[in-house]
Amino acid sequence: MISLHNISKSFSGFAALNAIDLTVRDGEFLALLGPSGSGKTTLLRIIAGLAFPDEGHVRFNGEDVTDLPVAERKVGFVFQQYALFRHMSVLDNVGFGLSVRPRAQRPAKAKVRARARELLDLVQLDGLGDRYPAQLSGGQQQRVALARALAVEPQLLLLDEPFGALDAKVRKELRRWLRQLHEQMGLTSIFVTHDQEEALELADRVVVLDKGVIEQIGTPEEVYMTPQSGFVSGFVGDCNSLPVTVQGNRAQFDGVSFDVAPPRLLDGPARLDFRPHDIAVSPTGDGLPLLVSGVYRRGGYWRVEGSVAGSDRIVEIDLDADHAPPAIGSRLAFTVTRARVFPATEPA
Amino acid sequence: MSTQRLPRRQSATRTVLILGALAFIAFFLVLPLVAVFAEALGKGFAAYGAALVDPDAVSAIKLTLLVAAISVPLNLIFGICAAWAVAKFDFRGKSVLVTLIDLPFSISPVVAGLVYVLLFGAQGWFGPWLVEHGVRIIFAVPGIVLATILVTFPFVARELIPLMQEQGRVDEEAALALGASGFKTFLRVTLPNIRWGLLYGVLLCNARAMGEFGAVSVVSGHLRGLTNTMPLQVEILYNEYNFAAAFAVASLLALLALVTLVLKTSLEWKFGYSHGSAR
Repeated sequence: MISLHNISKSFSGFAALNAIDLTVRDGEFLALLGPSGSGKTTLLRIIAGLAFPDEGHVRFNGEDVTDLPVAERKVGFVFQQYALFRHMSVLDNVGFGLSVRPRAQRPAKAKVRARARELLDLVQLDGLGDRYPAQLSGGQQQRVALARALAVEPQLLLLDEPFGALDAKVRKELRRWLRQLHEQMGLTSIFVTHDQEEALELADRVVVLDKGVIEQIGTPEEVYMTPQSGFVSGFVGDCNSLPVTVQGNRAQFDGVSFDVAPPRLLDGPARLDFRPHDIAVSPTGDGLPLLVSGVYRRGGYWRVEGSVAGSDRIVEIDLDADHAPPAIGSRLAFTVTRARVFPATEPA
Repeated sequence: MSTQRLPRRQSATRTVLILGALAFIAFFLVLPLVAVFAEALGKGFAAYGAALVDPDAVSAIKLTLLVAAISVPLNLIFGICAAWAVAKFDFRGKSVLVTLIDLPFSISPVVAGLVYVLLFGAQGWFGPWLVEHGVRIIFAVPGIVLATILVTFPFVARELIPLMQEQGRVDEEAALALGASGFKTFLRVTLPNIRWGLLYGVLLCNARAMGEFGAVSVVSGHLRGLTNTMPLQVEILYNEYNFAAAFAVASLLALLALVTLVLKTSLEWKFGYSHGSAR
């Protein structure tokens, strides 16, 4: 179990992390999700021992490792650009962690090579051991980096934007495969991503970070369906925002009123968020009027873009692709079936 | 290089530029080089050979090799340390350090030599103390070594700093994360990453260490058979109108330059290494 207590870190006056508390359970697959500059990579590096917090403690299974350097923490780290050693063959890269052990604990050369071959099999790169990193595709390099990190048999695997440099198709394959590997090896894994889709698909729990602060920790379902802050609501998943006025348990936008789910806000200006799919077209013409300005297909539905009549607000809604798409320039009306309100911020 | 078709006027420009550059190189580089060997062999191979086995010449060659053998390894170590510090760490005064490393390039070698006379000469700051303890630095081999080190110390560092800055520290972090010690990380990751740049810097450093005249001339005292390096020996012989012998020794220096050039070019060709540092 990994626990972080009150971790703070600043770089020349800029607070990268502010009083972070986090517990990671054994066997968990955890995503650190946030925009660039949110502090997610700094947090990962602090867990690894590649960076050190100004304040707070890092504990592995209750033991304080805050001041231990990376070499002594026995973690596997996969770097964003893989950081493969370009002058070594793939096999030597994978065996590196074993071959640099102190003499007393170092396996014989033949053993190191045999173990490296096993790991290459595991990451489905058998037969490529004699190549050099530059001769591999991005996806293959990624897997070599993973095999290299796993060679030292870490309990904890840390991955910095593991799929960032790959094209969409390879990324999807590798994601699924990484998830399997995680289960198969009984690892605890933490990965950093700015891609909410990746976090939601892969992780057991998602930690949403913004400006060095944890905005929410929860399962993908919780983070997506019940965002705890306006930031999470806007960052995770597609989201429409309308400026509203809250009064009691109702929110008003241009004469249309919405139910407000708890927790309630104080009366006054607020922001109402809803997902494109949380709507229903209203046959009677009640609800929000929409002037359609664009339609495109997204898998099994139409993504319809338009401005809410009576305002310059652009919203996106999803309509079933079983029906013909609305014509551009036409008007329709819809009601919001599920919405959340957040304190008014700068216009989203 | 490019043999693509160009509009007529551009093609004329190209011809003029290429011919101009070639003529310049022929006049200022090739001609003197040919002259050195022509003069050296002007009195036949026997005279050439005799000039090179002359005891004073042999002593100069030995001293030059000794000075290079001391100053190049020291500058190698210093260069790696300085480049490592500048490229992989952030600290106060970093830009001052980088500027200071460049100083020997911008300072006249004669001044560099005079500084040591001022420090260690008989009338210098440490002169009386050195005399008292029987240590000779100026007009002796230690002074020549010191002056050579000063003049040549930017070569390795300048070659490595941009290279190591470009490579960043992620490879080292990866090695450390895999449990490697700092020393093993250096030996197995950093050193292989910089080896060609390092070799290149060492070649240049060595060429300069063997060829340095100004700074060495000031501190050497020109004692024949004792404190004369090859460039100093060339000057002495020349001043004595012993042209064939002077050019014979000079031809060895020219040969060294050619070998350095060939090695450097073949390194670049073989490993596609392009040096990014200004000089």
